[in-house]
Amino acid sequence: MIVPFNHVLILAGLLFLMGIFCVVARRSLIMILLGVEVMLNAAAILLVGASLRWQNLDGQAIVLFVFAIAAAEVSVGLALIVWAYRRTGSINPENYNILK
Amino acid sequence: MITNWLSEPSLTAAILATLLPFAAFILIMVFTRKYPRLSAGLSIAAVGISLISALFLLVRHWHLQTPLEYTGRWLLSGDVAVPFGYLLDQTSLLMLSVVATISFLVQVYSLGYMAGDAGFSRYYACMSLFAWAMMSMTLSPTMLQLYIFWELVGLASYLLIGFWYEKFSATEAGKKAFVMTRFGDVAFFLGLLLVLVHLGNLNVLEMNGPQVATRMSSTYITIAALLIFGGIIGKSAQFPLLTWLPDAMEGPTPVSALLHSATMVAAGVYLFGRLFPFFSQSAAAMAIFLMIGTVSMLLASTMAMVSRDIKQVWAYSTISQLGFMIMGLAAGSYFAGMFHLTTHAGFKALLFLCAGVFIHSFESNDMFDIGRQGGRRLKIPMACTIIAAAALAGLPPLSGFFSKEVILGALAELNNPLWLAAGLLGAFLTAYYTFRLIFIILFPRQSGAESESGHGHDHGGYWVMGWPLIVLAAITVLLGFFQGALEAFFSGQQGIPVAGAGHHGWLPFAAIGLALGGVLLAWLEFGRQGADQVGFVEKIAPLNHLFAQRWYIDRFYRRFMDVFIYGVVSNLFTRNDKKVIDGGLDGLSQATVETGRLVSLLHRGMVQYRLLTIFVVLVFLGLYFFI
Amino acid sequence: MTIYSIIFYLLAILILVTTGLAISRRDMVHAVVYLIFSFFGSAMLFYLLGAPFLAVLEVIIYAGAIMVLFLFIVMMLKVETAGERLFPLSQWLPAAGCGVVYLVLGLALVAADPGRHSVLITARAEPGAFGQFIFQKHWLSIEIVSLLLLVAVIGALLLARRAKKDPARRGTIEGEL
Repeated sequence: MIVPFNHVLILAGLLFLMGIFCVVARRSLIMILLGVEVMLNAAAILLVGASLRWQNLDGQAIVLFVFAIAAAEVSVGLALIVWAYRRTGSINPENYNILK
Repeated sequence: MITNWLSEPSLTAAILATLLPFAAFILIMVFTRKYPRLSAGLSIAAVGISLISALFLLVRHWHLQTPLEYTGRWLLSGDVAVPFGYLLDQTSLLMLSVVATISFLVQVYSLGYMAGDAGFSRYYACMSLFAWAMMSMTLSPTMLQLYIFWELVGLASYLLIGFWYEKFSATEAGKKAFVMTRFGDVAFFLGLLLVLVHLGNLNVLEMNGPQVATRMSSTYITIAALLIFGGIIGKSAQFPLLTWLPDAMEGPTPVSALLHSATMVAAGVYLFGRLFPFFSQSAAAMAIFLMIGTVSMLLASTMAMVSRDIKQVWAYSTISQLGFMIMGLAAGSYFAGMFHLTTHAGFKALLFLCAGVFIHSFESNDMFDIGRQGGRRLKIPMACTIIAAAALAGLPPLSGFFSKEVILGALAELNNPLWLAAGLLGAFLTAYYTFRLIFIILFPRQSGAESESGHGHDHGGYWVMGWPLIVLAAITVLLGFFQGALEAFFSGQQGIPVAGAGHHGWLPFAAIGLALGGVLLAWLEFGRQGADQVGFVEKIAPLNHLFAQRWYIDRFYRRFMDVFIYGVVSNLFTRNDKKVIDGGLDGLSQATVETGRLVSLLHRGMVQYRLLTIFVVLVFLGLYFFI
Repeated sequence: MTIYSIIFYLLAILILVTTGLAISRRDMVHAVVYLIFSFFGSAMLFYLLGAPFLAVLEVIIYAGAIMVLFLFIVMMLKVETAGERLFPLSQWLPAAGCGVVYLVLGLALVAADPGRHSVLITARAEPGAFGQFIFQKHWLSIEIVSLLLLVAVIGALLLARRAKKDPARRGTIEGEL
């Protein structure tokens, strides 16, 4: 007996919301990536809780793959940020608006 | 009705009388604008045939017992059927004859008066329009038709008052006349609607009939009568809508003679006579009518006492005499009002036409100027003026004396002696201001340079203007002796309660005495050698001001319009237009532009806004799929 | 109110507080460090929820490698953080608005769930069993993820190399790389 599953849902939801907030409202590319990480973490918590709820190991497998993909994505993303910083000298996304 | 109109001579005569002037109007306006003499000929021919038809009808139906009605169905709406056509009975036939006679004489007179004017054809077109409208109005069988032609007569009046439209004062006067009478007509229409709601139709014979009392309660009859009387107040220039008539003297003098003395303003009194049985049902309304007539009569008499303009004096006199007619009718005597209407048409038109000769010859409206320039040397106009003035003052044996006697007799029948006293006072004042004018012209003070150009125009024009004067003078002299015949004529009129003829033997002598007293006072102040030609009223400066400013009625209207209409009502509407309507639309467009500006933020190329949009869409998708 | 639920709530509060602090720090190093704490808390939560292998993996990969990578990058780039407001109102307000809407909707959904009162039962996925399960049922995904990691390594290497100053090939992507 741990907790009702809804509580895990609520925790994951709040965490996800914070991740969205970080992505949308921070004026820095690195913080955007950080927010993505927070969102991924929230999803992982939810998946593990769901796997426990339905006593199915598939959820945990998914979380394993999420970790791997997150690692790959962060490395490429940060490389991109460094490259962009060298090109433009700024990590403020307001300066990256030539695609408007 | 249409198919066999030729077989009924009365119907033929009625159609000829009313429609020929209309045909003349159309022909002149469309075809003969450039040919003034042809236009005049068309118009006079049309109105001449109307006159012959009118007299034919009058003679043929002299002993009419039941009214003749010729109607066709015009409008059918639900269960309201509006007919149009002609109603021939004593009232309408007499009025038709009066209108036709005066119209014909004035149109002949205008040949000389308006000769050389640039708008000669237009003048005759408007005269024909007026003749059509007025004659159709007198022969209307339903109040709706009467109302339509009532308005058309107002239109003709507007066109003719502002005939010399280059003069700003003339156009202003025309506008004022139209708006003031329109104001009365609104009340008129409301009264008609009230009657229509209760009675189901607006047939004149039915309105005068006995069913009205059963279908409408007496309060409604009183209210309807008062509202309809609003139209009479407007059209006949009674208190409080009387200030348009003096201003209407801006029009040519024949117009003043025809419209604003004899026929159009008498249309109000005619309406009173037409609906006399209907109005008689409400004693309260008749009392109010009596009051309004008295007030108008006295007010206008005071205004005439201080006026210098010859046409203005006759205009005020018209208002006063119309009030007198209304007094007679409201006192309960149908014959009194109608008889005075007929005689007044004769001598007032004569007075105006003579004034026209003076004005035409001496280029001035001011009576002192006319006198100084030798007005008394124009023999025929002067003689006719004296005859007509004597009739107006009520001196025997002219027609005015007889008709005034009937009215005073009717007033004496009333319980309150106040009305009779007012009537006698009015008679005194009438005689006074009339002979004031006569003596100023007859005995000018500084007769320095009497201009020799008394007869300004060629004798041809003078004679054309001359013999209508003679005809009218003859009518004025002789009409009084037809009183008995007319009384017998009207005794056949449907629905008229027989007026109790109490015999007041002292009344004629009192009236003659007062009239002679007025003449004497005028002689003392104006006619005597060495008199200073300043009236007793003019010596009292505040009274002089009060009367000259028309009892400040115009000022009151101006203030009322400025403060209330412009200040409050139109201010409110202008502000509503600017702030609410315009402001609302502007605000809407502003909001749209601002929303666009906000939305354009999304297009700034910021990746974070795009992420936000993705997030919002996901939320909505989630909503859609899970709820 | 078992011991497990108390642990759960404590861990939940820890995670939420540290994440909240992480997203609102102006200094990015502080933000990353707070996030590391958050991931530690997540790891303990995984252990509570019966995934010990994943808890360990979270500490090693997430908190150990990814966040350290973040730290490297943050320290490498010179970021001006002085003088600017952190959350100007024009950015912050739409996000907050959407956040409130999301929160309300989410809570409504959660409250309306018919299976909301089902309580989690403690269990434990033994790492051995877990590994066997993975390599049997999800072997294809394993292969794909490996390929993905290889691609990521190559891409990161390429992107982060300093450009060879080749005058003839400047201005093109190949010249930049």
